[in-house]
Amino acid sequence: MVHVNYFLFLLFTPSNLSFFLLFTTFSVFCSAILVGIFSSRKIAYLLGAIGSSLGLALSFFILITGNTLSYSLWNITQSSFAKIQISWFNAYFLLISCAVWVGICTYSLKYDDDDNDDDPDVDRSYTGEDREKYGKALSPLLLLTILSMILILVSGDAILFLIGWESMTIASFFMILEGKGVERKEVINAAFLFLAFGEASSVIIMLAFSGIFSSIHSLDFLSVSPSSSSYSLLSSTAAGATLASGILASWVFVSALVGFGLKMGIAPFHMSEWLPIAHSSAPSNASALLSSTLTLMGVYGLIDIVTRLGSLQLWWGWIALGIGGISAMLGALHASASEHSKGLPAYSTIENNGLIIVAIGAYILATYYGLSLLAELALIAVLYHSFSHSISKGSMFAVMGWVSKLRRSFDFNKQNAPISNYTGGATRLGGLFTVLSLAAVPPLAGFVSEWLILEVLFQSFRYGDIGSQIIGTLVGAVSALAAGIIIVAMTKAYGFGVLLSKWSSTSSSASSRAESMKKEKDRLGGERGENFVSATFLYFIVLVLGVGVAAPSIFFLASKASIPILGTNAYGDFVTGLLGVPANFVILSGKPFGGFSPTFTAIFMLGLLVVPFLISRAGGKWNIRRTSGWFGGGLPPKGDEDSVPRVLYNSFGYSAPIKIMMQFLFRTKENVVRVDSSPDRYLVEVEVLDIFKKIYLVLFGKWFLSLSELVGRKLMPGRLSNYIVYIMAALIFVMLYVFATTIA
Amino acid sequence: MLRKFVEQIVGASPISKAIQLSAVFKIAGEHDDDGRDNKEEILAIWADIENNKTILSLVPSVEELGRKPETLLLCQSSLSFLPLLIKSLYSTPGSQIDLDAHGLAEGYGIFTFLYGPVTFGVPEAGGFKFVTYGERIVKVAPTINFKRRGIEQSIVGMKPDEALLLVERSAGNFSASYSTCFATAVEDSLRIETPEAAKWIRAVAIELERIYNHLHAFAREAEAATQSVAANQVHALKERVLRLNAKYFGHRFLFGFNEIGGVKCDLSSREDREELFSSVREIAKEFSEIVDYFLSSRIFLDRLQNTARLSKEDALSLGAVGPVARGSGIDWDDRQSYPIEPYSDIFVPLETSNDGDAMGRMMVRIREVASSTVAIEELLDRLPAGKTKKGAGEKNAEFQSTLSFSATTTTSSLTQSDFSLCRIESPSGDLIQIVKLDKRGRIKSLHIRPPSFANWLSFAKSLEGNVFTDFQFSFESFGLSYADSDR
Amino acid sequence: MKLWVLRGLKKGMLTTKFPKEQPTQDELSRKSFPPTPSKVSDWERGRLICPTGAIQYDSQLAKSEIDLGKCIYCQRCSSAGFEFPETRDSTSALKATFATNGDSAYESDERLLFEKYSKLWKSFKKSFHVLMIDVGSCNACNFEVLNLSNPYYDFNRLGIFFTNSPKHADALIVVGALNKAMVDVLKRTYDNIPSPKLVISVGACSISGGIFQNTESFASPVRKVIPVDVVVPGCPPTPIQILQGLLIATGRIKTTESFVRAPTDIEETSEQEEEEKNEGSSSFKGVSG
Repeated sequence: MVHVNYFLFLLFTPSNLSFFLLFTTFSVFCSAILVGIFSSRKIAYLLGAIGSSLGLALSFFILITGNTLSYSLWNITQSSFAKIQISWFNAYFLLISCAVWVGICTYSLKYDDDDNDDDPDVDRSYTGEDREKYGKALSPLLLLTILSMILILVSGDAILFLIGWESMTIASFFMILEGKGVERKEVINAAFLFLAFGEASSVIIMLAFSGIFSSIHSLDFLSVSPSSSSYSLLSSTAAGATLASGILASWVFVSALVGFGLKMGIAPFHMSEWLPIAHSSAPSNASALLSSTLTLMGVYGLIDIVTRLGSLQLWWGWIALGIGGISAMLGALHASASEHSKGLPAYSTIENNGLIIVAIGAYILATYYGLSLLAELALIAVLYHSFSHSISKGSMFAVMGWVSKLRRSFDFNKQNAPISNYTGGATRLGGLFTVLSLAAVPPLAGFVSEWLILEVLFQSFRYGDIGSQIIGTLVGAVSALAAGIIIVAMTKAYGFGVLLSKWSSTSSSASSRAESMKKEKDRLGGERGENFVSATFLYFIVLVLGVGVAAPSIFFLASKASIPILGTNAYGDFVTGLLGVPANFVILSGKPFGGFSPTFTAIFMLGLLVVPFLISRAGGKWNIRRTSGWFGGGLPPKGDEDSVPRVLYNSFGYSAPIKIMMQFLFRTKENVVRVDSSPDRYLVEVEVLDIFKKIYLVLFGKWFLSLSELVGRKLMPGRLSNYIVYIMAALIFVMLYVFATTIA
Repeated sequence: MLRKFVEQIVGASPISKAIQLSAVFKIAGEHDDDGRDNKEEILAIWADIENNKTILSLVPSVEELGRKPETLLLCQSSLSFLPLLIKSLYSTPGSQIDLDAHGLAEGYGIFTFLYGPVTFGVPEAGGFKFVTYGERIVKVAPTINFKRRGIEQSIVGMKPDEALLLVERSAGNFSASYSTCFATAVEDSLRIETPEAAKWIRAVAIELERIYNHLHAFAREAEAATQSVAANQVHALKERVLRLNAKYFGHRFLFGFNEIGGVKCDLSSREDREELFSSVREIAKEFSEIVDYFLSSRIFLDRLQNTARLSKEDALSLGAVGPVARGSGIDWDDRQSYPIEPYSDIFVPLETSNDGDAMGRMMVRIREVASSTVAIEELLDRLPAGKTKKGAGEKNAEFQSTLSFSATTTTSSLTQSDFSLCRIESPSGDLIQIVKLDKRGRIKSLHIRPPSFANWLSFAKSLEGNVFTDFQFSFESFGLSYADSDR
Repeated sequence: MKLWVLRGLKKGMLTTKFPKEQPTQDELSRKSFPPTPSKVSDWERGRLICPTGAIQYDSQLAKSEIDLGKCIYCQRCSSAGFEFPETRDSTSALKATFATNGDSAYESDERLLFEKYSKLWKSFKKSFHVLMIDVGSCNACNFEVLNLSNPYYDFNRLGIFFTNSPKHADALIVVGALNKAMVDVLKRTYDNIPSPKLVISVGACSISGGIFQNTESFASPVRKVIPVDVVVPGCPPTPIQILQGLLIATGRIKTTESFVRAPTDIEETSEQEEEEKNEGSSSFKGVSG
């Protein structure tokens, strides 16, 4: 029996408000894509921002009121196809994503600016080759990717999920092709690598789903809300609660970890994360989308599947801890060594996703040993960190992209343009808050979430087995080390990426400087639209600060989101009042273990800033001494624009010690070559390799090359578009097959 | 004149070519006999040298010379720094010279790190330009001449004993070597019969100077490795040597003990000599104990071994001298290879090391402290009896000689106007001074080849490929002094 | 395993008793004592002998004095009847004093000068960080300043420390004859030291140019470029003498000598500099005949 509900949303009741909002969001995004294709990209982005705000409202509505949304567009007897379902769990993820998308769409209003594409006033010779203009396809592709992600988050069944997953991958692929790498060939290579990893991810996720399907014979297993089935993992006796069990569960776990891990960019698949962003130098709004929310989809899927796999195995936890720890460490080290203004944040994403996997591993172990409180904390830590990482990373890519655009280079070592001349304090302030959050400085979002994860790992001694205790503690140490090393990377990103301005600006005359500033402003389309960028940065600052300072409220949301998994609301276990701090303001990490109050820490820190300021004001006159910098008694390095990088301490030098010390990991090659034509000139090359890239190239490169040659010659001597059609056709075929078997 | 000289060399045999080329160094910077300044001519020659046109093509190869150390050192050490020497000689005061003879490097991430002139790592006014991509030193260009005082120019026309005050203050810590070298060259030129005893006492002073400089270098190395106890103990030993200097020679840095034709101090009493020697022996003994401690400290050894390696070939071609050359396995020591009087009579062991790294140089210094002690024993034991200065014993002789020096000594011997050259093994190596007097017995010209100057290029070469934290160890192991090279 | 600490303890204490007691003969050399005029002194002959013009004599004006800021302690004037007794009161070697920087008020009233510095003394009493700058020395002064930290003098016990950066320094120790190449460097270094700051001019070279005052590259005495607070004569002054200068600067010991005049006219243009140099203006008069 097929039962289709079409017009129910017209009944405007509070219970249907959520459906109305969802429908409106979808419609707005669809129209935004159409506008992007056929009309102005600015309006498209504006619509995208509106749509994201609607999504934000929707998720808030669900989380606050508790009215979950479950709606089958097309019911089939046993299973349902095209089932829309928003539980508290995926409402939380929708909240995170929409919060980031609002920022990204607002940012794109200026970043992807088409207004003066053919402005005759702009000096072409001055602006040079690498002008940051992207193709017209960027806005529809970006919005399509967002729409696909919404689809993923609201889908209640596997088919809808996979459709969203696949269209997200393909839209992102084309978005990466828009990038402006050094060479076109590199862009194409990076995009295809992304596609290859994306398709591998789809296939492996399908494997996981097939495992679940063969266990429960249903496809609408995603994002189950507690209203439909009341279960708790800790007392998971209800058969319907578990998606799979026994050897099948292990199969599902491994394929889910690999499938979603491929999207999250965890080791050893971290190439899928940094390579498209760094090598193709993808548009910054696209990078932000890829790095903050696309990886979030991986986190969402992984938690959704893994936490409901019934009896959790011990070795799953160990594997998750191991992979997570390695990812965190690798990401942190490579981020410190990266010279690419977007490669560095991409590596930082690897580090953060590694920490998330570590926390998931801790959750598995805690559940295995029946430590309900620790499991709750671990899950909330995962959710919290997903939130703080997504907003910080969205902000970081926005800032880095904007500064790179001003500098006309993604290279930290090319210090061509002083950013302070062209942009206001919002960029610098936004950059500061972002890197502080990612470097886990209290009271910002990143600190609270990383504190939670480390607190979970510090409680490894509670595990009932010496092996788990050792592994947990070891991974805790590695994670803490990674969190420390990332500070180096963040300092570098802010110092060389945002703050540093060129010295020679002092040497040139004031009039020529003003002239060059005017030219630069013309290049960027003048003042018009700069407000959007500043507004984005301020928006992200508010988010990063708010998620940190208002930790109890985020705790409230996260604990609500984890009810479908845990079966209980963990809020009361962790949020309390203590030592004079009022109730609901202290976060505990165990009973008894650590605890602190982000809100009151923030107030205290504010006091530390304000009180000395007031005291110094009370003292009367400011006593400010200004001298030139100290350069060992010599003059500050000066030079014309070409020679400035040669006399300035640069980003490469900042991280060279790490590259030299960690030679075994980076495979650093330091070549000093005498240029043969002139005896007095030497060429120095320092090369850093990602060893996994090398392994891939050596192990799989040749094999894949011969295979793909075979496929290319024998099977697909066609064009790229044919290949995409082929993928879609294959997907539809699989879906039809599954559909047919379900009906049968 | 110089061109003629160069043309003569072209047809000569390798060995004589080498010896004659070393004479180019003597002539460089000379005034012609008619008093005309041949600065332009020299600068033109220097330009030729820089362009590899004339002189460098004449440099005999190592094979040609048959690896005879004496000819090699005479030739190579003179030639490799000759352009720089001339450049330094004619540089205007206040201008700096970058010794970037090896060129700078380029590449992604390369930048120049400026170090100095005000640093405490190098407690003197001098700078470095490190070409680096962070941590690793690709190239180094020392910047000298921050404290060029122009002693060679300003003493022209002075009476030799007035000039002595300036010359011994060229490098305060090599004062005995400088003053002895100058005094010996002048005495040679004036045909003054210097009393035997004076020459032997000068040698004692030089050896004491060597000991305290080597102790200083060791202590600075220990400081760099933050081995505070060792550093302070060796600094204390150094202080004791300085106090011995003050007690027996009147000045902690041996200023003013030398004069033309003799020395002003008196070691004629046997008791004094025994006391001096027993003090020196005690210091050397305590130092060897500290060294034993030091050789068992892995931390210290790790920092020195394989740091700033200088191969023997590089040391030869760049003209390294002194402990630097000996640390790279070149057996050259002026005390044996080019001995002035007391050294030709006594035995001084020649200490070398084949390591070529900071450790090798430090071991040479450590062993030289012992060998200097042995030398001091022999010098004091066999110190010839008799007066220590020309005309000593008369009342107010010092004053007489100071005022009426030229009057009393203007003899037929002064009519000759040849160069006189003296080489002294200073604590940092081979110090060469070439003095020319005019007919009135005043300085017509002085040329100094400071030991530090010869070692800058070796230092820059050896530092390539090291990391920044090795800099202090390299610098102290070379014993370089800006005062010395800038003079 | 070697016990460095035990070895250190075994050595006992080497540190000088100064400033609680007067320095011993060991701590000073024969050439640490300034020339003393006596009845047999022949000033005219001394003026001719003196290589740096430290002995100033004008028979018409009946002016006869020894400028310690110029004296390089070479003892050549002993032949002109100036005395350098082998044993004497060691305090006579300690000649470090305040320079008045040409302020006539300070010259006429010592109390004013004391008042000026006594404000600083409080803040420098426990911790006094000095930066040494070499502006063209022969390296002997550098050695002696570095020797302050060795166990024999150990100035850390008095709360005085070396520092590597002017940003951390309280005082600047200037050694050497100011080279033309170092004038700007010296100014920059001085500017980088936060106030309140002191400048201690160590050695005859930095006070007057010493033996190098007639060389081509000598720019000017240090006090003509930056204001000098304390002068320590000597060539080189022994560590004890430098230590005395540092202690005077921090108000730990009071000078027994009267405050002497050291006129400063920090020059604006290079023309003035030339004139001043040609005049060879005298400064710092320690001992008058």
